[in-house]
Amino acid sequence: MIAIARTQVEVGGRRLALLRGGAGAEPVLFLHGGVPGLSLYCGGAHLWADYLPLAARQRQVVAPDLPGFGDSAPADAPYGIEAMASTALDLVRALGLGPCHVVGHDEGGLVAIAMALAAPEALRSITVVASPTAAPSGDTVENLTLAHPPGPRWSRAAQEWALARMSRDPHHVDAALLDRCMECAEAPAHRAAAARASAGIALDLAQSVAKAKGQFYTVCRDGAFPVPAQLVWGADDPMTSIEHARVLYGVIAGRQRAAHLHVLNRTGNFPFREDRAAFHQVLAAFHDGLAAG
Amino acid sequence: METMAAAATAPSRTGTAEVPMPEGKWIDVGGIRTRYHEVGRGEPIVFVYGGNFGTADSASSAYTWNLNLAPLATRFRAIAFDKVGQGHTDNPPGDDYTMQAVVDHAGAFIEAMKLPPVHLVGHSRGGFAAMRLALQKQHLVRTLTIVNSGTLMPRVGTNEVVLGKPPFPSYTRECARWVYENYSFDRATVTETWIDAVMETLNLPKYRESVRKMVDERMGLAKFVPNLARDKRETLGWLREGRLQRPAQIVWGFNDRTATVDGGFDLFAMIAAHERRAQIHVVNESGHFPFREHPARFNALLAGFAGRFGEGAAA
Repeated sequence: MIAIARTQVEVGGRRLALLRGGAGAEPVLFLHGGVPGLSLYCGGAHLWADYLPLAARQRQVVAPDLPGFGDSAPADAPYGIEAMASTALDLVRALGLGPCHVVGHDEGGLVAIAMALAAPEALRSITVVASPTAAPSGDTVENLTLAHPPGPRWSRAAQEWALARMSRDPHHVDAALLDRCMECAEAPAHRAAAARASAGIALDLAQSVAKAKGQFYTVCRDGAFPVPAQLVWGADDPMTSIEHARVLYGVIAGRQRAAHLHVLNRTGNFPFREDRAAFHQVLAAFHDGLAAG
Repeated sequence: METMAAAATAPSRTGTAEVPMPEGKWIDVGGIRTRYHEVGRGEPIVFVYGGNFGTADSASSAYTWNLNLAPLATRFRAIAFDKVGQGHTDNPPGDDYTMQAVVDHAGAFIEAMKLPPVHLVGHSRGGFAAMRLALQKQHLVRTLTIVNSGTLMPRVGTNEVVLGKPPFPSYTRECARWVYENYSFDRATVTETWIDAVMETLNLPKYRESVRKMVDERMGLAKFVPNLARDKRETLGWLREGRLQRPAQIVWGFNDRTATVDGGFDLFAMIAAHERRAQIHVVNESGHFPFREHPARFNALLAGFAGRFGEGAAA
C-alpha cells in the first residue's frame, strides 16, 4: 500500500491542508464536496482518504481540504464555486501538478467543471462524481432525503445520519470517518463558517452554483467542453438519479468527443467509498484510456 | 469546433486502423471446422462479434476485433473466433440456422480450446449469444461484457429502419461500406481494410451457401427469426429472475441509431436488480461499434473490468 501523507502548503497566502502520495506523470487532484457551515457533514480530503492509497499505486494523488474545511484556513465570504475553482487552480500551479486529472464529488464536481472552463490547459481530464450540484435540476420534485436532520448540528450522530442517508450502503460510514468529521467540525475554519452561516449565505451559495452551471451549460451549447470528461454515478443515489446523470451527460457529450458516463450498481452518493474497487476500475480505465489513445 | 475536435483525435483514428490480425488458426469443434485468432498470454478474453449468417449486404468476421486483440494481448490471452456459419467457420450441420446453434457452438469452442472460465465479450447479436451462453453454461464464463446489443435489449431495435434497402447491390464494397458507415458515428472509422475483411467473407462459397439457405430457402423467416424471438423471451425472463450470476458490464456507443442507449439502460436495470457487480458505460461520439471508434478507451475499460474480477483478484 502506498503511504498517503497529511501535509500543508501555502497557496495565495492561505494555508491548505492536503493528503498527498504516489508518484508519476499526470497526477490526479481529488476535490471533496460540501459547503462549510451549510452541509450537514463536514467535508474535506478525508472523504477520499480510504480511496487514495488505491489510486496512488499508479499516479500521484493530491486531495486538499478546500478553504473553510478541515485544517485549511477559513474561507472568505461569500463562499462559492468560483472561489473554490480559483483556489484549486492556484494549488495545481503551486504544486506544479498540471496538466492533471481532476476528480470532484458533488460540489467538487462543479468546481472541476469551472476549473476546466477557466484553465483548460492545466487539466488533462475531469471526472464528475455523484453531483446533483452539477446536473440540471429541471424542475424535478423536491428531494427530502436530508429534510429532517437530527440535532445538534455537526454532532457525531447528526453527521453519521447525513452520511448514511446519502449512501446506498452506509457501511463506509465508519469510526475513522466520523472521528475525522468531528475533528473538522471543531477546527477553526469550520467554526468560523458555522458562526457565519445564515439564510443569506445559503442564497449566496445557491447563486454561485447557478452562475457556474449557467456558464457551463452555455459553453456546452454554444462551444465545446474543453477537456475530456466523464461522469461516475451511483445507480441508487438518494440525492440524484440516473436520469439526472443522463441529462448532464447529454450536455457534455454534445461537443466533447472523449466523454463517458459510468453507472455503478449498488452505490449512492459516495461511490468512491461505497465500492472503492468499482470506482477505481472505471477511474483508472478512463485515465489509462486517455493515455493510450 | 468540428475541425478542432477532429485534429485532436486524428492520431487515434488513423494510428490504430491498420492493426494487423493475429494469424488465423483452425480447431475442430464437434465436427465444425472453426477458425479463430489468438494473441497474448494470461486469462482468456473471448470476443463474440455480431451479425448473423446469410446476410448479403454486409458480413461480420473475427476481424471486427482487430483493434482490440493485439492491444489487450499485453495482459490477456485475447481470442476472437468465427461463429458457426460466419467468417471462415463451417455452416451449421443439418441446416440448423438458429441462434441456439450459435450459442452451442460458442460454448463448445471454449470447451474445445480447454479454456478456464473466460471474460466473454459480446457485441450486437453476439451480445445476445454471449448472454445466453453465460445463462446456460455459467461455468464457462468469468465475466460478461455486452456491447451495443439491440438483439438483447428489451426494446425495439431499428436496424431495418436505419439499414434497410441499401442504395447499392448486395455483395459489393459500396454496399458493405454504406452499412457500416450508417452504423457509425464517424464514417472515417470504416477503413478499407475492414471492408477488405467483409468482402473476403462475402466471397466465400460456403458463405454464399448460407445466404441461399437463409434468403432463397427462407430459413431466415421460417427458422432463425421465430426461434430467436422465442429465445429472447426466455432469455429476458431468465434475466428478470436473476439467473445471471456473473459480473456484468454494459458498454454502449451513445450515438447508435440502430440500438439506442435507452435500451442499454433498460438492460442495465434488469441485470443490476439482481447482480451487484453490474455497471454501464456510455461512450460518446460512437455508433454501433465503440470498440472500433474508440479502441484505446474501450480496451482500457475491458482490461480494468477483467482485471478486477480476474482469477485471484480481490473484488
